[in-house]
Amino acid sequence: MKLNIEGLLVYFPYDYIYPEQYSYMQELKRTLDAKGHGVLEMPSGTGKTISLLSLIVAYQRAYPLEVTKLIYCSRTVPEIEKVVEELRKLMEFYAKETGETNKLLALALSSRKNLCVHPEVSSLRFGKEVDGKCHSLTASYIRAQRHSNPSQPICHFFEEFDALGRQVPIPPGIYNLDDLKAFGRRKGWCPYYLARYSILHANIVVYSYHYLLDPKIADLVSKELAKKSVVVFDEAHNIDNVCIDSMSVNLTRRTLDRSQANVETLQNTIQRIKEIDAAKLKEEYRRLVEGLKEANVARETDIYLSNPVLPDEILQEAVPGSIRTAEHFVGFMKRLLEYLKSRLRIQHVVQESSPQFLKDIYEKVCIDRKPLRFCAERLRSLLRTLEITDIADFSPITLISHFATLVSTYSKGFTIIIEPFEDKTPTIANPVLHFSCMDPSIAIKPVFERFQSVIITSGTLSPLDIYPRILDFRPVTMSSFTMTLARTCLCPLIVGRGNDQVAISSKFETREDFAVIRNYGNLLLELSGIVPDGIVAFFTSYIYMENIVASWYEQGILENIQRNKLIFIETPDAAETSMALEKYQEACENGRGAILLSVARGKVSEGIDFVHHYGRAVIMFGVPYVYTQSRILKARLEYLRDQFQIRENDFLTFDAMRHAAQCVGRAIRGKTDYGLMIFADKRYARADKRGKLPRWIQEHISDGSLNLTIDETVQLSKHFLRQMAQPFRREDQLGLSLLTLDQLQSEETLQRIAQIAQQV
Amino acid sequence: MDEEPERTKRWEGGYERTWEVLKEDESGSLKATVEDILFKDKRKRVFENYGQVRLGMMRHLFVVIDTSRTMEDQDLKPNRLTSTLKLMEYFVDEYFDQNPISQIGIIITKNKRAEKLTDLAGEFSPRRITAVWLLKHFSDSFCAGSSISHGWPRLKQSVSNRHMPGHTSREVLVIFSSLTTCDPSNIYDLIKTLKGLKIRVSVIGLSAEVRVCTILTRETGGTYHVILDETHFRELLTFHVKPPPASSSSECSLIRMGFPQHAIASVSDQDSKPSFSMSHLDNSSGPGLTLGGYYCPQCRAKYTELPVECKVCGLTLVSAPHLARSFHHLFPMDAFQEMPLEEFEGERFCEACQGELKDKSVFICSVCSSAFCVECDLFIHDTLHCCPSCIHSQSTS
Repeated sequence: MKLNIEGLLVYFPYDYIYPEQYSYMQELKRTLDAKGHGVLEMPSGTGKTISLLSLIVAYQRAYPLEVTKLIYCSRTVPEIEKVVEELRKLMEFYAKETGETNKLLALALSSRKNLCVHPEVSSLRFGKEVDGKCHSLTASYIRAQRHSNPSQPICHFFEEFDALGRQVPIPPGIYNLDDLKAFGRRKGWCPYYLARYSILHANIVVYSYHYLLDPKIADLVSKELAKKSVVVFDEAHNIDNVCIDSMSVNLTRRTLDRSQANVETLQNTIQRIKEIDAAKLKEEYRRLVEGLKEANVARETDIYLSNPVLPDEILQEAVPGSIRTAEHFVGFMKRLLEYLKSRLRIQHVVQESSPQFLKDIYEKVCIDRKPLRFCAERLRSLLRTLEITDIADFSPITLISHFATLVSTYSKGFTIIIEPFEDKTPTIANPVLHFSCMDPSIAIKPVFERFQSVIITSGTLSPLDIYPRILDFRPVTMSSFTMTLARTCLCPLIVGRGNDQVAISSKFETREDFAVIRNYGNLLLELSGIVPDGIVAFFTSYIYMENIVASWYEQGILENIQRNKLIFIETPDAAETSMALEKYQEACENGRGAILLSVARGKVSEGIDFVHHYGRAVIMFGVPYVYTQSRILKARLEYLRDQFQIRENDFLTFDAMRHAAQCVGRAIRGKTDYGLMIFADKRYARADKRGKLPRWIQEHISDGSLNLTIDETVQLSKHFLRQMAQPFRREDQLGLSLLTLDQLQSEETLQRIAQIAQQV
Repeated sequence: MDEEPERTKRWEGGYERTWEVLKEDESGSLKATVEDILFKDKRKRVFENYGQVRLGMMRHLFVVIDTSRTMEDQDLKPNRLTSTLKLMEYFVDEYFDQNPISQIGIIITKNKRAEKLTDLAGEFSPRRITAVWLLKHFSDSFCAGSSISHGWPRLKQSVSNRHMPGHTSREVLVIFSSLTTCDPSNIYDLIKTLKGLKIRVSVIGLSAEVRVCTILTRETGGTYHVILDETHFRELLTFHVKPPPASSSSECSLIRMGFPQHAIASVSDQDSKPSFSMSHLDNSSGPGLTLGGYYCPQCRAKYTELPVECKVCGLTLVSAPHLARSFHHLFPMDAFQEMPLEEFEGERFCEACQGELKDKSVFICSVCSSAFCVECDLFIHDTLHCCPSCIHSQSTS
């Protein structure tokens, strides 16, 4: 259908539209008009993706000079594929309605592992191996060697692309990963490099977060993307953690040992090259004296996305003399390594700031701050000069060089924690140096500064106002949308007591309490008897789950549960978990019924959807607080308090509640779906916890369902499940939660739609 | 209609939140919507059955009753099992009332196996089944799991044992209380087999919607309902009393039927000898020698009950009243027209019960244009099968 959103003609490829989709598009349009950033929360299963795509594509067509590109960032490969499929549907609709052929180029980009078509390389199993092998076939000096030595293996897909691919742009259309591969095979071009090259002039790019947020990758891939782009981060409720991870470095003794070996190799190579081709090293030296001026020019003309690892000051200077020659640099790296090794030989935990660390390193091994900052650049240059083919082998030393650069660049926002052993195994020495980023805004800052509009969206972003604070940006729109429902298909219940009136909670003091564990067991047992098909239960951690399940086994509760349903357990092992998941779904499918015991923050809670019968009930045992004794977390909390005035408790609760919301949100994946959401902890009833749940869940928690006993829960659930089992047809939804074009134009509906969005 | 089930006493009910019923429902919240949907459903039933469709008049229905542990649940009073039994009595009565030339059989599943309680048979006393059943039931304790699929081999066996003419409908109605099934083999293969055999499976769930039942009923063309309470349960059962539309693939054939007369031999008559009924030859449980009975007009085999298919010559034996009772299904009454109450002009009293019309819509007979309330509309279509005011006007003219 064709919609008129505040004067913009939007083609929407379905006959019906949800009211909240309409409202979402309105907000989105306002954000684009204002050329600002936005934070939008809309429940999953209400068609976020298609609303985003329809509106932004329409906007692109209407104002081609205002918005040139859409960059859609998603988390996983299946999600990327889903977005491309939606886009394809939209484009088909455009072609049908307007009759003109599509001039848009949209493509998905993923790693070499997913895109490679080279018969040998693509058969490798790990991403790193593929990258390394690819590099060894396509690096410039390898190809140069080919001229003198024709037996040198190279990748002919890349050669073809290099010879022809850049002149002829890829024809307009929608390309998912498989399409790219097919196109590459047909033409004999490398799909990966083709895609990387094509994103520069593509209208829509769909790829993973890391291509934009991880400075190491963003520098290679996303540097030259146009400024007038709209960037969308979908499923962005964990964006701060992604930012932090991309800037943090963990060094273990093993890393150091392997770096040591790397340095040896470097030294040998330098020695060898010196004998045969000294001119090359001289050439490099000359280049380093000139400094990184090129990069500087590029940044001033605003072509590049700035790299937070490479701060402005570095660009204006030449590489310091002390590490300019290759031998000196190797010597420098050796000293650095020795120093780090000595730091790891400790018996107690050390925590210090970057300046402290720099002072110490200066005193102990006379390494100045300046050369440290150039470490990453210098190493990259050296590797290039030495024509090292297997880059993957040098990842440890590269990591060290990144660490050196980061630690000397940022005096704020980072902390260094050296732990002699892990908390779980205090007897086994396993020293780790955590160089941990505490400020997610560092990594995302260049994105906000460079691009015209950045949209952060997810099903669970509540409370909305905390994201702009921790990511340090100023949004023009912040809205939360509810789900309009023809029948109340979600039933959030807060269970606070057992039948014996003992309060149930995963609070530290009571979590070992026999009565609490028994009550949790009874709750699951009772529910297993009344909920059909699948139940997903989330625990706060693996250890807690182990304890509880062991205790249930002793008490015989497990045996009783198994009479009703089969039990599957998520483990930290990915293969085991996917096996369990598969069997779980099978059991739900053929009517045996199953329970999946899993962990908040685990794989299941983040990426797996439990549609319809796969998840008729989700139980959240306890409040999934992050492990608060971790030193990294403590440091981060302190930083948040000092820098952003966010109280520790607020942040912890926020973090726990967003994960709880993620978990229970797994059950509802659309308006025809229904499911119970059971919060089994007394603390959920408190206003500070409840208030942080997404609005679309919160508004269905009535005051009467705040502190239920297990009995009451069972009664309410039974009633709910029977109600939901009554036939439900599309006609029942029409006009209420599903609109046709006619209905959309009526005044009354528009008024109702206006209430859906809640501005924060 | 007279035995409207008494509402359970407050203290017998489960945990109820009575105050919530009083809540106003303007936001389209649960209670109002679901009731609205149910109201529509009531009407739907009327609509659905009154098109010009072929109905499967000769039905072969197996009722599979799940008697697993979940039947002990007390959400129906006094518990699900007793309540189901009570309603089954009613159902069997109604079934034979409406489908006199059809047959019914009962299978119970428990302890992971299925037991055929009664084979397909014509009219029999429902009291008898219940008695037999109760006896059996209380001697065993409840079983652990339940299974639908264990019922099937049994069922298939009985269905295929008997020669089923192509014009009869084969139906299964499952009363499913548990939420799980244990299956020895893949249940989806079984669904395929059922589909191949053209057996229509309907399910009435007593607790919640189970995925596999949804698929089962969808594939075989049956219906799937979940009860809300006892009244709703009865409504759903009533729904199954009506013959379903025949599938287009079933054959049309002329059927030879015999109309045997009931010969009553008095004890005083010296010539009469007691003889065995053919239908009781193979099961020893039934009564043995009787004096009178129905004699097949073709081969003179004796039967004590009708309708039945003659075991000797294969003739279908019915009595004339049976056919007459099925007659109204062939010429169904047109559905009444629904009209919002505001638009209705005329006296706001139901033509049938004389009660005041208070619901939001009234129903108008398309022939005599008299108004009825929804309850009377249902009663007329379900039970009377003719419009009272039409008949009234006929007799006066």
